[in-house]
Amino acid sequence: MTRLKTFLALVLTTIVICTACQQGMEYDDSPKANIQALWDIIDKHYCYLSYKQETIGLDWEHIRGEYLQKVNTKMTHEQLFELMCNMLSRLQDGHVNLYAAHDLGHYWNWKEDYPANYDEDLQDDYLGDDYRIAAGIRYRILPDNIGYVVYRSFSNGIGDGNLDEVMYYLRACHGLIVDVRDNGGGVLTYAERLAQRFTNEKRLVGYICHKTGTGHDDFSSPEAEYLEPSKGVRWQKKAVFLTNRSCYSATNTLIRDVKECPLVTVMGDRTGGGGGLPFNSELPNGWSIRFSACPMFDAQMNQIEFGIDPDIPCAMDSSEASQGRDSMIEKARTFLNTK
Amino acid sequence: MNKRLLTLFCWLGFLTQAVMAGTPIERSLMVGVGHSSQLDTYLSPLEYKGTHLNLLRETMRQTRWADNRLYFHQLLDGAISMTKSPAENANDLGGRIGYDAGWLYHWQAMSHLCLQGGGLAGVDFGGLYNNRNGNNPVQVRGNLDLSASVGAVWDFRLLKKTCTLQYKADLPIIGGMFSPQYGQSYYEIYQGDNSHNVCFTYPGNALSLRQRVMLDIALGKASLRIGYLNDVRQSHVNEIKAHDICHSFLIGYVKRFSIL
Repeated sequence: MTRLKTFLALVLTTIVICTACQQGMEYDDSPKANIQALWDIIDKHYCYLSYKQETIGLDWEHIRGEYLQKVNTKMTHEQLFELMCNMLSRLQDGHVNLYAAHDLGHYWNWKEDYPANYDEDLQDDYLGDDYRIAAGIRYRILPDNIGYVVYRSFSNGIGDGNLDEVMYYLRACHGLIVDVRDNGGGVLTYAERLAQRFTNEKRLVGYICHKTGTGHDDFSSPEAEYLEPSKGVRWQKKAVFLTNRSCYSATNTLIRDVKECPLVTVMGDRTGGGGGLPFNSELPNGWSIRFSACPMFDAQMNQIEFGIDPDIPCAMDSSEASQGRDSMIEKARTFLNTK
Repeated sequence: MNKRLLTLFCWLGFLTQAVMAGTPIERSLMVGVGHSSQLDTYLSPLEYKGTHLNLLRETMRQTRWADNRLYFHQLLDGAISMTKSPAENANDLGGRIGYDAGWLYHWQAMSHLCLQGGGLAGVDFGGLYNNRNGNNPVQVRGNLDLSASVGAVWDFRLLKKTCTLQYKADLPIIGGMFSPQYGQSYYEIYQGDNSHNVCFTYPGNALSLRQRVMLDIALGKASLRIGYLNDVRQSHVNEIKAHDICHSFLIGYVKRFSIL
């Protein structure tokens, strides 16, 4: 019986030793612990802290002290949420969101501080009543034999079969307008699938890297990103991509990619940016946080976090708009109709 | 090279079968249910807790080597888990399957106590899915390792029944595991950047231990087996901390037979 007890004691001791394990965050659920947890997540995982220190003077260490001072134990969850959103807005990043059951914390100044250069009613007028719909794309042939394609969100999927049909239907057009204004992004694969229709060869379009550790400058070597030509129907004539400040995230990446395609001209306003692939994490109180984790660059290794300039800048003329004309579409048509 | 390796494995298999022909085999099948605590800082900085289901199929076969004291041991281990975040508003769904095989030396320390020691080579594959994450929703797990394995078997009689109490522990000593880098997306790995994704592991960065305590009660030709499984898997590679700690209650049967 003594041997049996020794045997059991040995087993229990081993179990206790081995359950002394790797620990994650050890925070309680107090307002102070939650804001500290939020600060830590950004400090260890956010990919633009150094870049934004250089470009917009972001001092993340100073922000910690500033916001911890503002926390008190009597705060309501709504007050805490507002405080956290204010702290996150200092990152000036549309990919940074705080998700709670009662609200979604967001930063939209990247588009709201600039002219819209977009009127949905006017766009609908150009599409008319007899446009076609292929998954997330709406398209038609304008009277001057210009193809007009509208893709409002890359959250709406598109397949290669859809794109084959669109390209084949528009094959007789002597130019193509791809209107991605107000497309705030979505699934990167759909954006890439569309871009593949505008190149006949594999092209270097940019770079991507990721954090390799908790330090603000711990990054991997940039990995080249290539755009492969589609195996389906590809566009072989001039094309214009129309942009505005609301082109964000996957749409920003699309513009980065097609700018490397020789037959494509980007017209409109600078894109909104959103160059970091976002990751998610969470706080002890259950709120979720989204943040930029993997920075993307263009083919010249420039950051695209704050947007991409068009090849030909143009803006919407309000006087023309009042007469039912979208001056950006008109400028694109003139460009495509010019030999 | 591949042909030579294949030939070597075929010969090893043939030799193993040859030295095991007609020897006793003990085979058990157990199912388990228990509690799991999971952490993977790639998915979340918080520890998730919940239910864990296991399936274990274990075979121990005596060989004619080392005066019949060397046993060939195989363990097939599958598990699924459903865990919740501390705020209980997010879930992790996990699953894995593993196979270990190796040799154990049996030493009859006393008339009713047999001690075992040896080594196992194992492969394990699985994943963890978090339902609230966007571009980092999944962590894929895959590892190969060599483990030290020890055990003790105690025979006794209880209420006129022949009973066996066993303890077994497997400790991975050296191996390799797949892991994304600290902030690397699977999109990037898919694009072809897969450097530094295979990490060397040892108890200093991946202290893991699988322990089982099992009681067999003879019931005719088979035995009822009830047991407790404590499976601790940890790693700290590429700055990503992970653990999966399971405590499970097991129940199953054991059959002892020979193949001529």
